[in-house]
Amino acid sequence: MTAVVETEGLTKFYGKRRGLEDLTLQIRPGEVFGYLGPNGAGKTTTLRMLLDVIRPTRGTVRVLGSDPRDASIRRRIGYLPGELALEGREKAGEYLRFLAGVRGGVAAGRVEGLAERLEADLSVTMGKLSKGNKQKVGLIQAFMHEPELLILDEPTSGLDPLVQQEFLAMVREARAAGGTVLMSSHVLAEVEHVSDRVGIVRSGRLVAVEDVVALREKAVRRVEFHFDAPVPEEAFRDLPGVRDLKVEGASVSCTIDGRPDALVKAAARFTVVHMVSAEPDLEEIFLTYYSEDVQHARAGA
Amino acid sequence: MPVLVRKTLRDYRRAIIGWTIGICAFAGLYTSFFPQMAANPDFYSQAAQAKYPEGVRKLMGGLENFTTGVGFLQAVIYQLFVPLLFTMCAVILGTKALAGPEEARTLELTLTLPLDRKRLVLERFAALAAGLLAVAVLSLAVIAVLGAMVDLNVPFGRMLAAHTGLYLLVLFFGTLTLAVGAATGRRALAMAVAGAYAVAGYVVHALAADVEAMKWLSHLSPFHYYMEGNPLVNGFQVGDCLVLLAATAVLALTAVLSFDRRDVGV
Repeated sequence: MTAVVETEGLTKFYGKRRGLEDLTLQIRPGEVFGYLGPNGAGKTTTLRMLLDVIRPTRGTVRVLGSDPRDASIRRRIGYLPGELALEGREKAGEYLRFLAGVRGGVAAGRVEGLAERLEADLSVTMGKLSKGNKQKVGLIQAFMHEPELLILDEPTSGLDPLVQQEFLAMVREARAAGGTVLMSSHVLAEVEHVSDRVGIVRSGRLVAVEDVVALREKAVRRVEFHFDAPVPEEAFRDLPGVRDLKVEGASVSCTIDGRPDALVKAAARFTVVHMVSAEPDLEEIFLTYYSEDVQHARAGA
Repeated sequence: MPVLVRKTLRDYRRAIIGWTIGICAFAGLYTSFFPQMAANPDFYSQAAQAKYPEGVRKLMGGLENFTTGVGFLQAVIYQLFVPLLFTMCAVILGTKALAGPEEARTLELTLTLPLDRKRLVLERFAALAAGLLAVAVLSLAVIAVLGAMVDLNVPFGRMLAAHTGLYLLVLFFGTLTLAVGAATGRRALAMAVAGAYAVAGYVVHALAADVEAMKWLSHLSPFHYYMEGNPLVNGFQVGDCLVLLAATAVLALTAVLSFDRRDVGV
């Protein structure tokens, strides 16, 4: 089966400023691909090139087997812009009807169904929508024609946690129906539960593409244990994967790398009163695995 | 009507209604003054001559014989104020076509519809032309009806000829704004270029009557083709209309081609 999105050496410069350099990537049919990176790394640049909003400086890009300049493929794509702007005195529902009329393929009742799931009020004029509601309208228009390919730029921004869950359920349904999803985020935690693979982009370069399961094993977590009595430092020293160990009286904090098994077993010998395990943070993955400094340090060690 | 033209006109609706009311109110108000002026020709002619210094009078088209119906319509309606208001309306609608939505970032979703970019520009242009036509038709109706009521004695055919020129003039400036917006995506720049060209074009045309050096320059002014043939007296000026129309077509084509080959919203 051919790739849904295929880029080779895709490069975009804004004048002299680098937006994206030499991106070679394939998104396979039926997968959910999380496109991760800090703000300004080149995520939006990539996604906008797939929609032909901006044009590559170099390299090739094919979407659904065609050049993005071919307007007809956009019927099969659902796109949520990163900086979604909706303005005017038109009601959100009317605007969605306009978009649906141009794109076609929107089943009767589909818009209302999505609005209900996301708790969006479509009778509000667009200029008066709150940030969260704008995002909901943006999601509805991206999903309403049940496209083969969803390209979502920071889809969860501005959504409250319950709506985020509903959104993730919609992504899973789209995948179950045979769709492919490419979504960007700057927080791994937002996409890791639905993504099959993630790509990490930094300063305009793709630095890694990983299976989510593999990435989670590599992730660094900050862990804290609180015990009912002071514990000896030796009990935790030199455990595999444990770094930055700090033992202060009855509490132990450290970062762990990979599986927490050894640490948990060590802690289990004492009475644990309280435990905190922070979600791995993308920033720390960068620092540990993809920063050149760290790689140098490792090579040197 | 293509769906994007309809949608664009819906977005323009308030602006079109507002400007139509403004232009019609202005034209209607001034037209209704005609009986007073016609009744006291000497007084009003002299007052007008005395009120404005010569240079200003030249810019306003002379104000010599505005106590006749044709002279009045030319001086008060077609010379300066109505073209000025209508051009402002066209420039504002022209910025709403592409540059405005691009700066507001609302263009991005429109761009990702399954519509060719060339078609997007053409449909926006069609909506601009249709919107301006609506303003032109309504303002012509107001002037014709009120003109008949106050006995201007200007045949409708002549008014139609003058109004056609006016429509083509403002369509030119609206399309210029659209084209600069399409090429650069910058609203303020589009307004500045169109505004500066309109003012310069007007002044050059007005001064060309006296200043020899301005004569050839005035051929670059759309106002030359709007006023030189004096359609209110002489009827349709096909050649002048075609020049304005051709210039508009060139600008529209430039808009289509330049928008098709650039990045949007960067």
